[in-house]
Amino acid sequence: MDTSERIAVHPILGVPEKGRQVQFTYNGKTMSGCEGEPVAMALKAAGVMVHRYTKKRHEPRGIFCAIGRCTDCVMVVDGVPNIRTCVTPLAEGMDVRTQDGVTPLAGDKADKEEADGTI
Amino acid sequence: MERYDLVIIGAGPAGLSAAIEAARCGMNIAVYDENKRPGGQLFKQIHKFFGSKEHHAKERGFHIGEELLAEADRLGVDVSLDTVVTGLYPGNEVMIKKGGQVSHVRGDTVLLAAGASENMAPFDGWTLPGVIGAGAAQTMMNLHGIRPGSRVLMLGSGNVGLVVSYQLLQAGCEVAAVVDAAPKIGGYGVHAAKLARCGVPFQLSSTIVRAKGGDHVEGAVIGRMDEHGKIIPGSETEIDCDTICIAVGLSPMNQLARMSGCRMEQNPKKGGCVPVCNEYGETSVRGLFAAGDAEGIEEASSAMIEGRIAGIACANRLGFLEDGKAKEAVESNEQALDTLRQGMFAPKNRGKQIEKTDEGFPVSQHLLVTGFLGDDEVEVYPGVTHPKGLHPVIECTQNIPCNPCQDACPHGCIHIGSFITALPAVEASAECIGCGRCVASCSGQAIFLVNEDIGGGYASVTMPYEFMPLPEKGDIGLACSRDGQAIGEAEVLDVKSVKAFDHTNLLTIRVPAELSGKARFYKAAQQ
Ligand SMILES: Cc1cc2nc3c(=O)[nH]c(=O)nc-3n(C[C@H](O)[C@H](O)[C@H](O)COP(=O)(O)OP(=O)(O)OC[C@H]3O[C@@H](n4cnc5c(N)ncnc54)[C@H](O)[C@@H]3O)c2cc1C
Ligand code: SF4
Ligand code: SF4
Ligand code: FES
Repeated sequence: MDTSERIAVHPILGVPEKGRQVQFTYNGKTMSGCEGEPVAMALKAAGVMVHRYTKKRHEPRGIFCAIGRCTDCVMVVDGVPNIRTCVTPLAEGMDVRTQDGVTPLAGDKADKEEADGTI
Repeated sequence: MERYDLVIIGAGPAGLSAAIEAARCGMNIAVYDENKRPGGQLFKQIHKFFGSKEHHAKERGFHIGEELLAEADRLGVDVSLDTVVTGLYPGNEVMIKKGGQVSHVRGDTVLLAAGASENMAPFDGWTLPGVIGAGAAQTMMNLHGIRPGSRVLMLGSGNVGLVVSYQLLQAGCEVAAVVDAAPKIGGYGVHAAKLARCGVPFQLSSTIVRAKGGDHVEGAVIGRMDEHGKIIPGSETEIDCDTICIAVGLSPMNQLARMSGCRMEQNPKKGGCVPVCNEYGETSVRGLFAAGDAEGIEEASSAMIEGRIAGIACANRLGFLEDGKAKEAVESNEQALDTLRQGMFAPKNRGKQIEKTDEGFPVSQHLLVTGFLGDDEVEVYPGVTHPKGLHPVIECTQNIPCNPCQDACPHGCIHIGSFITALPAVEASAECIGCGRCVASCSGQAIFLVNEDIGGGYASVTMPYEFMPLPEKGDIGLACSRDGQAIGEAEVLDVKSVKAFDHTNLLTIRVPAELSGKARFYKAAQQ
């Protein structure tokens, strides 16, 4: 997976101001991100596109508005569903899971995704 | 219930400006914003703004935001962040929600400055991960340092689509194309030209038929539209991209206005359904005002002035500012607003076909369709002259409210006059010393310094350059034309990065003399 998503030096903004590196888990897998950045940004930087599947039609959703308005990016964070990851700061040790309808994606599917390399 | 002299909903440029005026008059104010940081849209804007010197022209949006915040701070304005206003009821009662807690406050006056929301474009597959709003792209790259994608397709050629496309290039993304259903580019020609010379193609009278991909975007199909807006069969083409960015317009946020019961109107010149306001921004509900994008989609520059007017009017209403002073202040702000609302893109000209500039020059149709001026077209404009030696060439050809180039030149080489939307003209009698200030101050990156004969059959061209990595003196690369095509070899003669130029580097290249009128961009050889 392409990990060149983080801008190292920006021509206008210079080096982005970022928090320290912390670890968190995504569907049980350890990942790292910058403390304080929205969870969705850490996931995006790690190449994760799908945040949840809709309840009725089981369609994938990911970041859409990035300002907390559309709810497309909600996930299960530390066991709590419907957390808007685009406005939730990342903290050390967070447990982030793909949301399936209103619950975490069942274990086998999440694991399968991981094995597929689709995450 | 807590009571304030003025309750402001939204801490963008409109809300903050109102707060500043009101605080100056000694009012007791509450300002609410749903974000973790005040400033509204301004902190995502990293380009230099148009306008006049008095209204922050040539300053980057986020710097304007910082100045506003500092001024508000000095006056003791306190913004309640992470606070959403969820209701507005008779008697100017405001319901707020913070951290799950709901409470009510009352304002003797209330200002709606909630800004706008982005319009959506529901094509097949528009909900796939990888389809994002233009605002989301800005949030990701300009606030969090994350690239929204590697190769982005932009839908929408208004100023937002153009500006965000350029910002994507600056963030190191590729822009596959800018697609628009309209037959003409909607935003400023100078913004389009910046993209075209980087090689970004425009696909007009076209739209996205569908986004491709299973779990996320893996491409897009676009098609050309006939005059009825139907896709022409067989016109579909595939675009290779991993991200689709939607910039198809903004609509005023009006939920709270609707709740308040004030009179609303559908006004296409204001971008949608807005409260009907008088010249002070007061709605039909006494004491309830609206300013900025919530009152009609416009610009940050106008939002700030509208905010000031509303702040002054509220102060006057409650007796914090006497009539005479208020009238004077409102009048000078209104004058400023009027100057900004001139030119080809003014709200009153929305949707009009304009064939000639105010000066009678033909408006380049080529620019409106391809994003760049034709090599011969450019010659008719007053900013393009061919004196001996170093001189500015100004490729700014539409009447837009902007004039920092005139103020920038210490030698009087550039003339716009008192009418801010007039086209910049190069003064034949003035001598250019090559300081480069005009190039760096031009919000549209439309000014080049050219010396058509530096000897040996070569010319030099100096251009604004805002990309990484910065080329180095002595580098050999490619000179590109206005449409981004490589047209010859170029040697970098100089790279000037001056603090006062605020990250606009001046890149000077040497090109064969016959390319002096064509070379407008530089690419490193390996690209
Ligand atoms: C890509 C792009 C480029 C632009 N370029 C330029 C330019 O070059 N020059 C220029 O002058 N303008 C430019 N603009 C336009 C400018 O940014 C806006 O016109 C301006 O920000 C409007 O100001 P505002 O205060 O009305 O709204 P906003 O800046 O949108 O601020 C409104 C604030 O209110 C908050 N809010 C909304 N509802 C609530 C609620 N219920 N409770 C609490 N808070 C709420 C919002 O979160 C936001 O922070 C650009 C805009 C974009 C998107
Ligand atoms: S380079 Fe300096 S002197 Fe020459 S036109 Fe520009 S601002 Fe004026
Ligand atoms: S040439 Fe002058 S008027 Fe035109 S965009 Fe540049 S600074 Fe503004
Ligand atoms: S992306 Fe819209 S709420 Fe997070």
